[in-house]
Amino acid sequence: MTTVPTPSLAGEVDLSPEPRRLAGLGAVAPALGLLALFFVVPVVALLLRSVLEPQPGLQNYAEVFGSTTYLKVFGNTFLVAGLVTLVTLLLAFPVAWFLAVAPRRWSALLFGVIVLSMWTNLLARTYAWMVLLQGTGIINRMLMQIGLISEPLSLINNLVGVTIGMTYIMLPFMILPLHATIRTLDPTVFQAASLCGASRFQVFRLVFAPLVASGVAAGVLMVFVMSLGYFVTPALLGGTSNMMLAELIAQLVQSLLNWGLAGAAAFILLVVTLAIYAVQFRYFGFGGGEAR
Amino acid sequence: MTTTPFLSIRGVAKRYGAVAAVEDVSLDIAEGEFVTFLGPSGSGKSTTLYVIAGFQGPSVGDVLLRGSSLLRVPSNKRNIGMVFQRYTLFPHLSIADNIAFPLKVRRRSKAEIDARVQAMLRLVRLERYAERMPAQLSGGQQQRVALARALAYDPPLLLMDEPLSALDKKLKEEIQFEIKRIHNETGVTILYVTHDQEEALRLSDRVALFNNGRIEQVGSGRDLYDAPATHFVAGFIGNSNFLPAKVASASGAAFEAVLPDGSRLPGLTGARLAGASLAGAGLKAGDDVAIMVRPERLTITRGDDMAAGLVPATVTATTFLGDVVHVLTRTSWGGEVSIRLPCDGFRGEPPQTADKVRLGWPAGAARIYSAP
Ligand SMILES: Nc1ncnc2c1ncn2[C@@H]1O[C@H](COP(=O)(O)OP(=O)(O)OP(=O)(O)O)[C@@H](O)[C@H]1O
Ligand SMILES: [Mg+2]
Repeated sequence: MTTVPTPSLAGEVDLSPEPRRLAGLGAVAPALGLLALFFVVPVVALLLRSVLEPQPGLQNYAEVFGSTTYLKVFGNTFLVAGLVTLVTLLLAFPVAWFLAVAPRRWSALLFGVIVLSMWTNLLARTYAWMVLLQGTGIINRMLMQIGLISEPLSLINNLVGVTIGMTYIMLPFMILPLHATIRTLDPTVFQAASLCGASRFQVFRLVFAPLVASGVAAGVLMVFVMSLGYFVTPALLGGTSNMMLAELIAQLVQSLLNWGLAGAAAFILLVVTLAIYAVQFRYFGFGGGEAR
Repeated sequence: MTTTPFLSIRGVAKRYGAVAAVEDVSLDIAEGEFVTFLGPSGSGKSTTLYVIAGFQGPSVGDVLLRGSSLLRVPSNKRNIGMVFQRYTLFPHLSIADNIAFPLKVRRRSKAEIDARVQAMLRLVRLERYAERMPAQLSGGQQQRVALARALAYDPPLLLMDEPLSALDKKLKEEIQFEIKRIHNETGVTILYVTHDQEEALRLSDRVALFNNGRIEQVGSGRDLYDAPATHFVAGFIGNSNFLPAKVASASGAAFEAVLPDGSRLPGLTGARLAGASLAGAGLKAGDDVAIMVRPERLTITRGDDMAAGLVPATVTATTFLGDVVHVLTRTSWGGEVSIRLPCDGFRGEPPQTADKVRLGWPAGAARIYSAP
């Protein structure tokens, strides 16, 4: 049996959580098994196909990196993911703040709306945006009616459409980790900083920003990584000129039956994702609430 | 011209909608003084402190430091130190960096900051903890660091809002001692909030007793105990017995009262009034008053001596406490009166439960207040 050390009352902090982590291993074993079966096995299969089809060798990777078309898709994927992450962060921060400071009734209501939107079918939500954003959609009609524009804006089948649609879908994934962090902040700490002589900007930069950094990192990572591999929304709201990686992979498999090339593209995406995770882990741990 | 006081709180009131957190507080504090705001929960102590710190503007009134108003000065320019009830160390900074924080935002040189941090760590006796993170310190240690951080920039005024209320009794006394020592060593003026009267009496030069957003009385602990100005002060500081009575006749300082059981207290000429005289206090025949006597000033007379006592009562409990005997009695109208007798303060056996006795007190031991 492993013994679980309890921190002593004298405030001596136990700095080695290792035994506790091991003790929990039994409970997560089934989940790890499933993960091995349904994640690791297909990934390995994909990797094998990418280096074995149509004949053994790295020619699939050479083709991905050698083709400007494919590189453009990669670039576009990062552009969209970055843009979506940025816009999501800017929109989510005030919402998370409101959730933390608003009276209980209001924050509960807002939470309900956020969770409900997450539960609504993804396809339905994306189609709803198509209806709103198209040339004859509500948004364009309203803008034309109040005379702000004379020609419909093209809000769909381009970068604007993808960004709007994906930002909407990603918002909860940014709001929730931000909220979890902001909720732990004690306003008295900021009062203390102010009385110590820190200006508003110094309080923000030296106290607030470091304290919310881990929450921001967790949200940014989650949204960026999810966006990198997103398929439905870019396929429906994006244009052909700004295809994303998931769309390319689908096309390679479905239309061209080129499993080798698709495997290479997918594997590169996976490596990039893991690399981003590694960086995050290095600087922020698991992205949990603890600020160190 | 009088000299300007160091800190002057003038007619401060703070209202939140219809609720008045502070009704009307005025107080002058001298440089180097240790003044405690004592009072029950919700009496406006913290709010007054927050007005001084600048977290809240007063609805009315002014706060002056060395003669100039603080109200237009933002918190971060007031140069005031503060230790809060809650632990407010910056959780992402080490102990040394926490103490250095106010110096860094003041753009002091690195050498100066290092020297000052060392001096502060020494002051609060935490030299060995410089590199630790706040979460690795006990509550008492965290409050000592908070004290070091608040004193690092040499503020002329230090505010403390119940800094020890989360600590156990022993640790509390230890840090009270440290605070007292630091007050002596640095000479900083301290405004300290607590609702623990023992803490207030132990630490401060003067105590301001708050009630319902007002200061009931300001004075040394001794003043407040020996000469409570109001019924509230008499009840809040120390233990006290209140006997309800009616004024039978009053002229100048001479005064006769009747207790609910009909017994007359003609011998109260020596009783001190909270106020110059009965007339001065606005009391006249027929008014309801409360006669306050401290438990240790009461005497018990029995048997042959009975006639010397004033108020008939029955003993309901006797507790031996070593140096004193604590006797609980009930008067005929059902009022409880507690008495602390020194163990050599009675003849023969200590009073027993159900004994019929009479209570009395020496001239000057009773104080009279108009009934609340
Ligand atoms: N922001 C606010 N809004 C409304 N009422 C408030 C606010 N702050 C304080 N009060 C009220 O003002 C009164 C005085 O509060 P204050 O915090 O000054 O009391 P206190 O003497 O410090 O009490 P405690 O010993 O419990 O800390 C309380 O009744 C409180 O409910
Ligand atoms: Mg308070």
